Amino acid sequence: MSEFDEELYWTLIDIANGLLTGTVIGGYYAMIAIGLALTFGVMRLVNLAHGDFLIVGAYLAAVILQILPVSPFYTLIIVVPVMFALGYGLQRFLLNHVSVQAMEAKGLSASYGLMAPILVTFGLGIFVSHALLGIFDSNAMQLRNAFAFSAIRLSADLNISLLRFIFFLLGIVILIALHLYLTRTHTGRAIRAASDDAEIAPLMGIRTAHVYGLASGVALAIAGAAGVMIGMIRTFQPFDGPQFLLIAFGTVIIGGLGSIAGSLVGGILLGITQVLAGTYFGPSAQLVGGYMLILFVLAFKPQGLFSR
Amino acid sequence: MSTSVREGGLIAESGRGGRRPILTVAGLSAWYGELRALHDVSFDVAPGEVLAVIGANGAGKSTLLKSITGMMNRGRAAHIDGTIDMRGRRLNRLPTEKIVEAGVTMVPEGRRLFPRLTVVDNLLAGAYLPRCRERRTERLEAMFDLFPRLAERSDQLVSQMSGGEQQMVAIARALMSEPRIILFDELSLGLAPAVVDDIYGKIRQINAQGITCVIIEQDMNRALAASDHVIVLLEGAVVLRGDPAELRESAVTAAYFGSRTQGGPT
Repeated sequence: MSEFDEELYWTLIDIANGLLTGTVIGGYYAMIAIGLALTFGVMRLVNLAHGDFLIVGAYLAAVILQILPVSPFYTLIIVVPVMFALGYGLQRFLLNHVSVQAMEAKGLSASYGLMAPILVTFGLGIFVSHALLGIFDSNAMQLRNAFAFSAIRLSADLNISLLRFIFFLLGIVILIALHLYLTRTHTGRAIRAASDDAEIAPLMGIRTAHVYGLASGVALAIAGAAGVMIGMIRTFQPFDGPQFLLIAFGTVIIGGLGSIAGSLVGGILLGITQVLAGTYFGPSAQLVGGYMLILFVLAFKPQGLFSR
Repeated sequence: MSTSVREGGLIAESGRGGRRPILTVAGLSAWYGELRALHDVSFDVAPGEVLAVIGANGAGKSTLLKSITGMMNRGRAAHIDGTIDMRGRRLNRLPTEKIVEAGVTMVPEGRRLFPRLTVVDNLLAGAYLPRCRERRTERLEAMFDLFPRLAERSDQLVSQMSGGEQQMVAIARALMSEPRIILFDELSLGLAPAVVDDIYGKIRQINAQGITCVIIEQDMNRALAASDHVIVLLEGAVVLRGDPAELRESAVTAAYFGSRTQGGPT
């Protein structure tokens, strides 16, 4: 192999690695982000505690594994329904009472309804992270698993992490399931109807408070699954929530709020940009590269690349 | 309504026998905060009839329908007083979704379709109630028979349709919940006359199936032509009621435009 060819070879390998790894990470980012997108898309509610609930999912799995040492994948059987119930309860008993509709019913201006949930979920995030610190401690935890260091070898110089690939597939399956739930089921249609016109939806017999609870439940159920993924890939601590909230925001800004396909593509673009920036400009450029992309999208298509 | 109820000396009742009313509104008042929008409104709706509620802008027509459908008791900002009964079942205080389950629904002013849903999804959203889900496919077929235009466009987003087509979707969506009473708010507002003719034709077909219709209409002549019974609202109060055939047009006009002093029988 001549010197010129070798340079070209490594360039191609770098790009191929960036595209592959970035894409695979994108599925994981979409999982992290979709709950945030769903909550905003349906309830017009920005959940600033979203990142902290991802970490709750990871801790929940850690607790289950202490009692029952199985593969972390099995913890999803418990984590997902528990997080669903948490999301439903949170919406019914807290967030529905500070929503735009609730504020209007109290005779206050709708802007209270936009601001109140931001303050409430900001406080909720602080509460959740401190509760985690109180129950556990600040030591980093991890969900040990058999796949952590396995890779799929595509060629001599091109590998992708087996775990991340599994998460990518799992992410795709969950996103497709969510899409089918929202488009093909009675409840899903009711969620979209309530999202389109919350005042009129009750005329269809739709109980909006319940339907919002379901949407929030689904959002946190997926966040719980994403939390288990986080815990399998890396260590986590009680105060890690906000950094994942940032990833979720980035993904959602790039893809466009309230679009499932947008979240996936947003996650993939963010992943590819981060990996390529890291490859060419060093590890510290990963975050900068990601934020550059977010700024770029905000500057030129602030509604997101895939918003309708 | 009992035959003893008369307004302004006009005969309020004729040809409706002694049929038990399907809906009874008694002493209904409504407030938006301090502002009172309805004053002690009482009337009955006979089963299977078309009742037209007419009145100028701000007369309280929409508030009346919102009160019946439970949309006025969602918070402190707006509230109602008085009773609304459907065949002995008290509707006021019930949330909207329970009232719809009881068999009353509304085609709202401005149609208020779900813009990001397709025609068929809008209709299926209308069949959300558990009692409607099993028959939803046959109901959908029935709607496409009633409005063939919608069958051609079933997968289109409703936001891309004309006003008349949207009104058809709104009516079909309301029918999906298998109501016994439909309230139509500002049925002809913003629609071309030919389209309105068409829509009124459909209302007759719906009414012929035994569904009671309450129509809010600003176009007095259309309301008189399409209804079995008319109520005229002025500043939140009923000022005239009767059968269109027996009401003098001048009396209706006077009531509509705010003269409460119209005389007795001709």
